[in-house]
Order: sequence, then structure tokens, then C-alpha cells
Amino acid sequence: MRFLHAIWADIRFQMKQGFYLVYVLITIMYLIILSFLPEDVLSVALPLVVFSDPSVLGLFFIGGIIMLEKVQGVLSVLVVSPLRTIEYLLSKVVSLALVSVLAAFAITGFSQYESVNWLILFLSTVLTSGIFTLCGIMINAGCQTVNQYMIKTIPYMLLFVLPCVTLIGFPYSWVFTIVPSVAALRLMLGAYTGINFYEAIALIVYLTGVNYLFLRWTIRVFENEIIYQE
Amino acid sequence: MVQVINLNFTYKKTRKKAIHEMDFNIHEGEVFGFLGPNGAGKTTTQRLIIGLLRNYTGQIEVMGKERKKWGKEFYEQIGVAFDFPNLYLKLTAKENLQLISAYYKDRIENPDKLLDRVGLLPDKDVRAESFSKGMKMRLNFIRSIMHQPRLMFFDEPTAGLDPVNAHIIKDIILEQKSAGKTVFLTTHNMTVAEQLCDRVAFIVDGQIVVTGSPKDLMIEHGKRRIKVEYKQNGNLFEKEFEMDHLAENKQFTDILKNTDIRTIHSCEATLEDIFIKLTGRNLL
Ligand SMILES: Nc1ncnc2c1ncn2[C@@H]1O[C@H](COP(=O)(O)OP(=O)(O)OP(=O)(O)O)[C@@H](O)[C@H]1O
Ligand SMILES: [Mg+2]
Repeated sequence: MRFLHAIWADIRFQMKQGFYLVYVLITIMYLIILSFLPEDVLSVALPLVVFSDPSVLGLFFIGGIIMLEKVQGVLSVLVVSPLRTIEYLLSKVVSLALVSVLAAFAITGFSQYESVNWLILFLSTVLTSGIFTLCGIMINAGCQTVNQYMIKTIPYMLLFVLPCVTLIGFPYSWVFTIVPSVAALRLMLGAYTGINFYEAIALIVYLTGVNYLFLRWTIRVFENEIIYQE
Repeated sequence: MVQVINLNFTYKKTRKKAIHEMDFNIHEGEVFGFLGPNGAGKTTTQRLIIGLLRNYTGQIEVMGKERKKWGKEFYEQIGVAFDFPNLYLKLTAKENLQLISAYYKDRIENPDKLLDRVGLLPDKDVRAESFSKGMKMRLNFIRSIMHQPRLMFFDEPTAGLDPVNAHIIKDIILEQKSAGKTVFLTTHNMTVAEQLCDRVAFIVDGQIVVTGSPKDLMIEHGKRRIKVEYKQNGNLFEKEFEMDHLAENKQFTDILKNTDIRTIHSCEATLEDIFIKLTGRNLL
């Protein structure tokens, strides 16, 4: 019950702060750009655009959300309420994953790309969103201002985005799949270009594990940096 | 309700020893006040009991259990109002209450009733961002009591409020007390402390220097004398007398009989006098 309320509260907060409006505008912008691309470019551009949504955009969104909660002081109210840390964090993950899935489905649906595996698309969006949301919370924990967060985010972003280039493929480039963002993008590409069943399972299991580890880790960081100000 | 024994606490980052061998009790059903200069450790002590600081030494027993052993269910039973307003600015007053109340198990009071109590009912559908500081503080305050906690922590509950609204908040605190609730408050306002607190503790540099009921302290630290102000032949005079054997004091009875009395005061200390005496500092 408490958890469901927390999710609903987050959705309302994001809506009222105008995050959904930004999402809708960005999605429309993407759709317009994609509509000008020829079919063969689209097959590469579409997954990349859809991937950037829960990852790069998600990282900035979660940063903004937590910063707003900090500035308004509501974080300190939640800390002295019965809401558990894990509920607080998971509700952020779920609410942002929800928007990402909606955006991913909207962009993919409207761009009239053939043969999409919607289940894989759904799972890869959720798993990607989870990883980046949790990372954003960890990066944000020690930050006092939006600028600080932006600057701190850039190296992490590079760390996650640069290895994705290896998906172009060269000998032993599969080794980079160990980087969670590469694994996530690999899975997402699979939703559009087809993927071996066992490879999909392996990636999903791996990404779920990463999400779980990140969650445990984020709980620790969050409690040490935000709850206990000692 | 709260029992603190030999409490010590040092902030890790600054290595500042904020609390030094502190001992005190808060009884069930009383209003207990913490008074002291800025930086004395009032907020730190409250944060320790609330559970926002760890790594203390000594004991903090709250509602029959060591603080460290409580989990998050602890917060079902306590209410906290910080000294800065913390509201969802884009939500209305009522939405602010409803959002947080959803995290508590039960016993939630009717939000309209609470809003009405602090004069915010007409603004219940107004977003908190357009509230004045005093309105925010009042909303903040009722949010901390809406789940009917047994133990409440208020940090400067009347700061920034006009006298009428401060009065309403003080009344609510006294109502909570008569309902058997326990209140722990910090304030720099000596009048508030005197009006509300069953007992106060003066804290200086992380240590409690004196504890007692405001009345007892005022008498103890004052003079057993009275001061009479009177008018005689058109001139204003002032005279002090020992309180003992007043009725047999000829000079005093003469003044009573033959002059036009303006005021008579006993010379107990004010909490402000005691504060300055104990802390060696002026009120901040
Ligand atoms: N987060 C913190 N990190 C390090 N030191 C702190 C922190 N918070 C407070 N202190 C220090 O601990 C001491 C006690 O501070 P505290 O906030 O408890 O005082 P206070 O009595 O509440 O003062 P005020 O009347 O200003 O509210 C001060 O010396 C302060 O500098
Ligand atoms: Mg303080």
C-alpha cells in the first residue's frame, strides 16, 4: 500500500513539476526527426533514440527530481515518515521506468518500423531505466546544486556511453558486454533486429542482477549521504 | 518516554563534539523545552532521538526501547516539525497533507479539520508555493501531528508566526499535552517556553546546565522581594521590599494606605534573565 502510494506520489510530482511535458515534447521531436530518415538508417537510429531515453535523459531527469525534493525539503519529511528507503528508491525507479516505456512504445509505434519484439523492448527499457535511475540517485546523493550534479554526471555518462561504440563489432568486442549499458543496448537492439533466445535470456538475467546490486548499493549510499547527516 | 543517559556525540566531518555527557528524562504527557544559544546542540539532540544521527555513545531510550533497536515503524508514533518549512511546492495545502498521510498506517485526522484549526481552510486548494512563510510553517506543523503521534518534536514551532497564529499553535500543543501526548520542543522564545513547558532544560556547549519547571527556576533565580510603584503628591516613586513579613512592614503598609498604587511586582527572575545568567550570552 505504502509503496503504491509512493509511486503515485512520484508520478504526480513529476507531472506537476512539468517533467511529463518535457518528455512529450522530446518524444515528438524525436518522431519528427525519425520520420525524415530512410529505412536503412532508421533501423540503427530508432534503437539508439529509444535507448537514449531511459539512459541519458533518465539520468538528467532523476537528478532534477531528487534535487527538487532536496531544495523543497520534502526529502527530510520522507526520512521521518514510515516510508522505507527501499520503497522510496523503487518508487523512483518504477515511476521513471513507466515514462520510459511509454516513450519507447510511442516512438517505436509511430515510426512504423516493422518486426519489433515488444516484450524485449519492454524489458530492455525497464532494465536500462532502472540502472540509470539508480546511478543518478547515487551520483546525486553528495550534490547540493544542479550544476554540481551536471558536472559529476558527465564522467559517468562517458563511462556508460563510450563503450556502446563497441557494438559496431570487432574481434572480442563482445567482452564489453560486461558494461551494463552495453548489455542493455545489446538487448534493446535485439528488440528491433532480432536476437537469439539464449542470448536474450542471458542479457536479461545479467541486467536484472546489475539492477539488484545497484539497488543494494544505492540504499547504502542514500542512507549514508542523505538520511544520516553526520 | 525518553531517557537519555550519558550521551556523547561528535560530528564526523568536523570532529566537533556537539553533545557532551548529557543526561535527561522526558516524562510521558509533558511538554519539555530545550533552551540555549545558537550552536548549543539542541537540534543535534533532537536529531539523535529522532534517529537521524548514529554513532552516539551512551543511551537513548525512547518509548521503552533503545533508539538503535527501533526500525522505521518508530516513525508511526512520532511527529517531527523541522524549523524550516518543507512542502511540495507544486501541490496544494490539502494535497500536501494527503500525500504524506498515505504513508502512515491509520489514525489519520481529517485534513480539513486540521487546516481549519490553523486558519488554512480557505487556502486548502492553493498551491504551497504561493504561501507566506507563516502559512507554510502552519501547514508544516499540522502535517507533523496528523497521524496522531505519541511523541512530538518541534523545532522553533512559532518562529515567523504573528501573535494570533502563534497563539493557535501554542493552544494545539497544550491540547496535545492534555490528550496525554509528549512534546519535546526547542525555542529561543522565552515566553513560549514559559507558557508551554512543564519543564525546561538550559543547554550550553552540548551540556545541560539546569533543568526544572519554569516557575521553580524563576523563583529560585530571582529575589524574594517585591517592587511597588506609587504616586504621591503628583510624583512617581518606586520602592522594593523583602517578601517575608510584608504585613508587618510599616513602611509598606503606609504606602498601601496613603498613596496611589500604580503597580506591584514580585521580583522573580524571568527566563530571559536566567538564560543570560546561565549562558553568559544575550538572547539570540
Ligand atoms: N551537520 C553538521 N555537521 C557538522 N557539525 C554540525 C552539524 N550540525 C551542527 N553542527 C555543529 O554542532 C553544534 C550544535 O549544533 P546544533 O545545530 O545542534 O545547535 P542548536 O542548539 O540547534 O542551534 P540553533 O539555536 O542555532 O538552532 C554546533 O557547533 C554546530 O556547528
Ligand atoms: Mg537548531
